Amino acid sequence: MTGSHRTLLLAAACAAFALATLLIWIPADVDSSVIQLVRRRASIGDAMAPAVAAVILLLGAVVLVFERQREATPGLPRESLVFLGLTVLIIALSFVLMRWTGPMLTVLAGLDYRPLRASAPWKYLGFGLGGFVLVAGLVALAERRFSWRGTLVAALVVLGLIAIYDLPFDDLLLPPNGDF
Amino acid sequence: MSILDHVWLGVLAVFHGPALFSLFGLPIPVALVMVLLGVVAGIIVGATPGLGGPMAMAISLPILISIFGFRPEALLPVMGFLVGVMKGATLGGAVPAILFNTPGTPDAYMTTLDGWPLARNGQAGKALRVAHASSVMGDSFSDLVLILCAPFLAVMVERFLDLPEKAALLILSLTFIAAVMGGSIGKGLISMGLGLLIAAIGTGQDFYPRLTLGMPSLAEGFSVVTVVLGVLVLGEVFKSLEDGLRDARSGSRPDTRPRGPQALTRADFGRILPYVCRSAVIGTVIGALPGIGSTLAATLGYTLGRARHARRGGSPAFGEGAIEGVAATEAANSAVSGANLIPVLSLGIPGNAAAVFLILAADSIGGFNPGPWVFRVPTTGSNPEMVVAFGLFTMMLVANLLNWTLGGAVMRASGIMARIPRSLLLPSVVLVTLTSLYVQAPEMMTLVVTLIFGVLGYLMRRLGISPLPFIIAFILASPLERAIRQAFAATGGDVWFLVNRPVSAMFLLLGVWVIVASLRRKSPR
Repeated sequence: MTGSHRTLLLAAACAAFALATLLIWIPADVDSSVIQLVRRRASIGDAMAPAVAAVILLLGAVVLVFERQREATPGLPRESLVFLGLTVLIIALSFVLMRWTGPMLTVLAGLDYRPLRASAPWKYLGFGLGGFVLVAGLVALAERRFSWRGTLVAALVVLGLIAIYDLPFDDLLLPPNGDF
Repeated sequence: MSILDHVWLGVLAVFHGPALFSLFGLPIPVALVMVLLGVVAGIIVGATPGLGGPMAMAISLPILISIFGFRPEALLPVMGFLVGVMKGATLGGAVPAILFNTPGTPDAYMTTLDGWPLARNGQAGKALRVAHASSVMGDSFSDLVLILCAPFLAVMVERFLDLPEKAALLILSLTFIAAVMGGSIGKGLISMGLGLLIAAIGTGQDFYPRLTLGMPSLAEGFSVVTVVLGVLVLGEVFKSLEDGLRDARSGSRPDTRPRGPQALTRADFGRILPYVCRSAVIGTVIGALPGIGSTLAATLGYTLGRARHARRGGSPAFGEGAIEGVAATEAANSAVSGANLIPVLSLGIPGNAAAVFLILAADSIGGFNPGPWVFRVPTTGSNPEMVVAFGLFTMMLVANLLNWTLGGAVMRASGIMARIPRSLLLPSVVLVTLTSLYVQAPEMMTLVVTLIFGVLGYLMRRLGISPLPFIIAFILASPLERAIRQAFAATGGDVWFLVNRPVSAMFLLLGVWVIVASLRRKSPR
């Protein structure tokens, strides 16, 4: 597929999304119309802003069709999608660890997490493990191998953030403690 | 109180503000300390390939707000730090460009063309000194233009533009930004339309929050900080990480050890001055237009400088280690930073990523809402927003002074930053960004939403769509909708309110012309 074909495909996708927004999403999900009558006075309704946005999106798609010969859209090769997928996976895993490590360990210890969310070491468990996995995982992805240097950096970054946000400020909560 | 009284109050707010500590019995104001820290941090991040000013501003903003809180007194220290970062990063970007042939910021790419040959000839020290002097001169000129023009322009806007004209001006600015950002007007419009659409989710005036697909979590809409950090920071980090994978560098580096005198002589200064002056004007004019980045200014400054140099038969030629080449580029890209704040302070329209973060800081802390009303002279008492604006100008001048005096030394010392591998730095930036975001909005859902916007930012970059029109449209969506609603109501429900009045009709016509001209400019001959 050439760059101009990709441009055409992008324009078609944007046009389809804009039309779906104009014809389906806005009518179904906005209470008032583009212009409404309230107490016999005309005023702008909530549909105006998204409708204008969708029209601009549609206009952009149309302009892109005219530009397709000179505006080659770079491709999204399989490697890029795999890289993006792995990045999202590592970050999502780290979120899960951040969110659940502390509560799970307190359950195992026969305790409730909420009263302990501001007490060491409980408040650091989720952030420590999740943050470590996030940094070490992304370093490993970038370097294509696990390295002691990466794990050391991950540990130092987590400790540094605890030192910056948690130690000097009583009112700031590290992830996930604000959720409890 | 007159404008001059406000200028004085602004200066006093910086120099007589709350003291952080005393030195020999002299109270040292916190705002000045923050400017100093910002300048140093800015030079260091500018010198670190893969970071850059906007990313540092994004990371530091929540930390600063945590330290100073949401009080009006926090405005000057927080904005002082951000201004320092903005100015320092421009200076620092030249360091890896000269020392390692790796531009620290995109606009420093042109610096590599002459900076790297100079370094290979053992003249890295001189190249850094030329970059320092040119950058600070360009920046200082740009700041003076900002200080003189922004209040004047704001007063004109307030005096001559009514609600329909202001709405049309916002539309024109958005169209202009969409047209000039990136390579394609079509993609610019798509980016802008998406930004406006995302901003519409969960907002509005009806009881039912619009476009939420029935999901309660969308009812509050998306916060600016979530969208900005996701699209601008995470999107860029993901792309840079992947680019780092592709950049498998090998081979030994040429010897760049200093050979010969490294000082900037009076004769050298005389050689670069005409190039600096010309590039400073180019950078300032380009910076005053919203949406045109410093990369274009650097390219134009370099190209025009090269033409002048060739006409005069200068030697060495541009591209072969001419100090004039470094000067022309650095003066132009640094002159953008001050002038970029002209549309922010006079119209409320952010022109670049750094301005976005200044608006974000003002929006988060409260008490300062950039726009033409900032320079409104009250009939009685003072206008606190005007005092903050002149305090901001004062801090910009202080930052320039620091760049003049300390910048060169910090610049030369921060060359080591370019040696930190991206593969270690960028993952750390992800965790720092997410943590600083959580500290502001303590919900794991915020992090998930930011990740989604990060993916969007990555995809936009990979598809050649500039994310900046998206961000600026997202920020301006609410003021634009408000202006249109008010203008419609004020004209008694006239659906033609934007074209009935000559000035607003002219703004709209200009918007159409910008689109048509962009299409014609890029059409093949």
